[in-house]
Amino acid sequence: MKNNISRRNFLGKAAAAGAAGAVMPSLMNSCAPDGRMKNVIVPEFLDQAPDGPELKAGLIGCGGRGTGAAINFLSAGPNLKVTALGDVFTDRLNSCRERLKEQKDNEVADENCFIGFDAFQKVIDSGVDIVILATPPYFRPEHFAAAVEARKHIFMEKPVAVDPAGARSVMVTAKKAESMGLSVVTGTQRRHQRDYANTYAQVAAGAMGEIVSANCYWNQSKLWHRDPNADWTEMEYMIRDWVNWCWLSGDHIVEQHVHNLDVINWFTGKHPVQAVGFGSRHRRVTGDQFDNFSVDFVLDNGVHVHSMCRQIDGCENNVSEYIQGTLGSSNCQNAIVDLNGKEIWKYKYPLNDQGEETNNVKVSPYDQEHIDLVTAIRTDKPFNEAENTAISTMVGIMGRISSYTGKLVTWDEMMNSDLKLGPEVFEFGPVDIPKEIPVPGKAYKPNA
Amino acid sequence: MKRFWIIFIPGIILGILLVLGSNKAISLTSENDFCASCHIHPQATTSWKQSVHYITKSGDKTACVECHLPPKGQGHIPAKIRTGLRDVWGKWFKDPEEFNWEEKSRLENARKHVPESTCLYCHETLFTPELSREGEEAHLYYDQAEKTDDLHCINCHLNAGHYIEGYTHGGNESFGMLEEKPEIIYDEPAKVTSFDSFTEYIPGSSASFEMAAIPGGEFTMGSPEDEPFRDEDEGPQVKVEISPFFIGKAEVTWDEYLAFYAQTSGEGRTTDTEGSRSGPDADAISGATPPYGQPDQNWGMGDRPVISITHHAAETYCKWLRLVTGKNYRLPTEAEWEYACRAGTESPYFFEGDPEDFQRTGILAAIRKNDTTKINTFVVYQGNSPAKTQEPEAVKPNFFGLKNMPGNVAEFCSDWYSDSTYSMYPETGVIDPSGPPSGEEKVIRGGSFRDQAGNLRSAARDHTKTDQWLRTDPQIPKSKWWYSDCSHVGFRVVCEYDEKTGKKDNEE
Repeated sequence: MKNNISRRNFLGKAAAAGAAGAVMPSLMNSCAPDGRMKNVIVPEFLDQAPDGPELKAGLIGCGGRGTGAAINFLSAGPNLKVTALGDVFTDRLNSCRERLKEQKDNEVADENCFIGFDAFQKVIDSGVDIVILATPPYFRPEHFAAAVEARKHIFMEKPVAVDPAGARSVMVTAKKAESMGLSVVTGTQRRHQRDYANTYAQVAAGAMGEIVSANCYWNQSKLWHRDPNADWTEMEYMIRDWVNWCWLSGDHIVEQHVHNLDVINWFTGKHPVQAVGFGSRHRRVTGDQFDNFSVDFVLDNGVHVHSMCRQIDGCENNVSEYIQGTLGSSNCQNAIVDLNGKEIWKYKYPLNDQGEETNNVKVSPYDQEHIDLVTAIRTDKPFNEAENTAISTMVGIMGRISSYTGKLVTWDEMMNSDLKLGPEVFEFGPVDIPKEIPVPGKAYKPNA
Repeated sequence: MKRFWIIFIPGIILGILLVLGSNKAISLTSENDFCASCHIHPQATTSWKQSVHYITKSGDKTACVECHLPPKGQGHIPAKIRTGLRDVWGKWFKDPEEFNWEEKSRLENARKHVPESTCLYCHETLFTPELSREGEEAHLYYDQAEKTDDLHCINCHLNAGHYIEGYTHGGNESFGMLEEKPEIIYDEPAKVTSFDSFTEYIPGSSASFEMAAIPGGEFTMGSPEDEPFRDEDEGPQVKVEISPFFIGKAEVTWDEYLAFYAQTSGEGRTTDTEGSRSGPDADAISGATPPYGQPDQNWGMGDRPVISITHHAAETYCKWLRLVTGKNYRLPTEAEWEYACRAGTESPYFFEGDPEDFQRTGILAAIRKNDTTKINTFVVYQGNSPAKTQEPEAVKPNFFGLKNMPGNVAEFCSDWYSDSTYSMYPETGVIDPSGPPSGEEKVIRGGSFRDQAGNLRSAARDHTKTDQWLRTDPQIPKSKWWYSDCSHVGFRVVCEYDEKTGKKDNEE
């Protein structure tokens, strides 16, 4: 199956991605190395969303990131409110509610606080305009479908699925949202980060020639875990410890590394069509996941993308991307150098009070995402990046399955796989799923 | 000839009028009644009125030209002129009785009369809220797939514009259920004690079939380089020695296959894994799951050859047949197949005739008006089939007593396909060859109801096309039992001549 992501994503739409709500996208002329001039739209990000009638948001998943996303939303512009909360745990919901009140003076009424596995539907039906989906990613495809069914605009965290069936479901729902004119922003905040977006524009205009290879990394220390608690059922324990369980998080190659994989998809205008990965588990404390992956991805034009991710203390850390072109290379974030390492271009960060260049973009990308979402809604210029993020999520899943099984896994296999993780029944009790840690070379290869 | 010009010239003028003519003329000639005044082929109007494009929730009706001509601005007028001229020609010079409407309605041909742009012109979004899960997967496939001419909305929505009774593109759980209990149920398979043709009885069913004893011998496999329509993969010719075997006198019928299906089939999609139905009994065979769509194409079942079944399904059928009859049934090797088809002949067919004389299309064929009596006697092919399979009674057998080796349906063999299979064999000859050790697609042999004479030759080779034949199956994963897009391939069984079929220990 040939994919038209390259055609769809390159230049036009993808460049416009960052330009959600741009009032007047400016055209930048960049001289391509072969002498041709290519026009690339430089995203013009607003510092605040424009004013408009009140927009009410409902938050589904009141953990750390959900609460953070709600605060980012409330910071995006005037006349924004969070009016409903949903979670499976009362303590998480309450602490979120308190933080919104303390930090943003945003109060949520008792009757709009919902607890349980069905809380998402109640939040969606509570009269909100926007829903923020921030539960563990396992639940995302179902929640996204329900929100689009109810014609809500959506902010949802990455990744958007944990398995092929879920990723395809999000691709379909993304299309439905698009045809309904809904706006969807997906937590891949580098696409809303001004330095990245400007670097993308340079690369797309040909400043470093044709891309011939790419690398991406998310190597960090151990993440967090929760120890089991005698008062918790297995389901409660797993959800509280979710970043350590594959069915809930997709493993960290999907859960975290999707950011970097997404940047590579963005810059190359393609997605990998096959993967061969290594991975293993050395230091993980709980759950059933690996703590390191190394994957050789290949694009349909033969370009290799090497991806690495690790969550182990005391090792070299690095969270970044790197692309090599025929005329130079880029870190994708703020600089392009030629083949001798000489700087061709550098992003200019804002100056501080002393007139010195800072290291940070003017508006945090976490806020920018919500500014772009609210701007898209208020200017009636729908913006939808759900399909891109579903594709990047699927790439992570493809790398994970290859690493778990030790086999070559293709994009076509992913698009034809019925692998669906997680239990059949959702209630607080034992969780009936296999919990073995995968062994490459022996593990079951789904639908290959 | 004079009459020709008298009528043809007004046709040209009409064409020119259409080019230059007013919107009025265009719209008048685009009305449904105008279309129907010529298009009198069976049920064209009725089936349209029974279709979902006429009986709609909103009451909107889709006119003939809305599906059969590209939208305005997308080649509407040129297409209108082209089809208009063709239709005038057809109306005045051709006899509607002579048209093979059934063939023209088949998917491959229907695609030519329904520009896909017309579908997409109205159906702007492919992801509507009502879409089923399978519909979503299918549309996602369509959305991402490379756009080729054979990827068309009507691949799955063939009945959208004209109602087709019995057509289904959906799960078909009740397929193959017997309506009434048969009178005879065999409880014993045939006992074979000597190397003679025999009738096999499938225990627990009312199905039986004839097996012919094929004496061993030597023959030349492949075709000489000067044989008309020869493909490179038919050479170099190779001397082959074949041991005695039995082979089905006819292709496996629906009745036979449904006996297997009824006794082994899974109960739904979730059982589409090997062994799930068999439970702890390791000897039991887990058979096909219900099809998606209508595998018999509504052509009828009974003695017609089974179609739409995968190579895997055919092999599983043989495995099951081994279990219930106690004899070593299997698919033929490619060499056995050709040996059986040739039945001692070395000519392109086992009957007399030159493939070029039997080929029906082209100007030469029209001029020569060749005598096709011979081929019509022995083969169901494009020249005599109403675009579908026939029962074995329609033709005469070859010298081994085998019917329809060259036609009706193409047949699976057990070998992997390679275009250089024959050059792999030693020049000195080979005994009972079974093809390359591995490969991607399996060999199919013989032509089918839709093939022209060239593909019916004894030496002609072809192979399965798994991806293409599963294209419109929207299930994830796709069925391993039923091809959604292959209605021209079936198979026949071979039974080994061994101690279970009368071979004595001391016999060579």
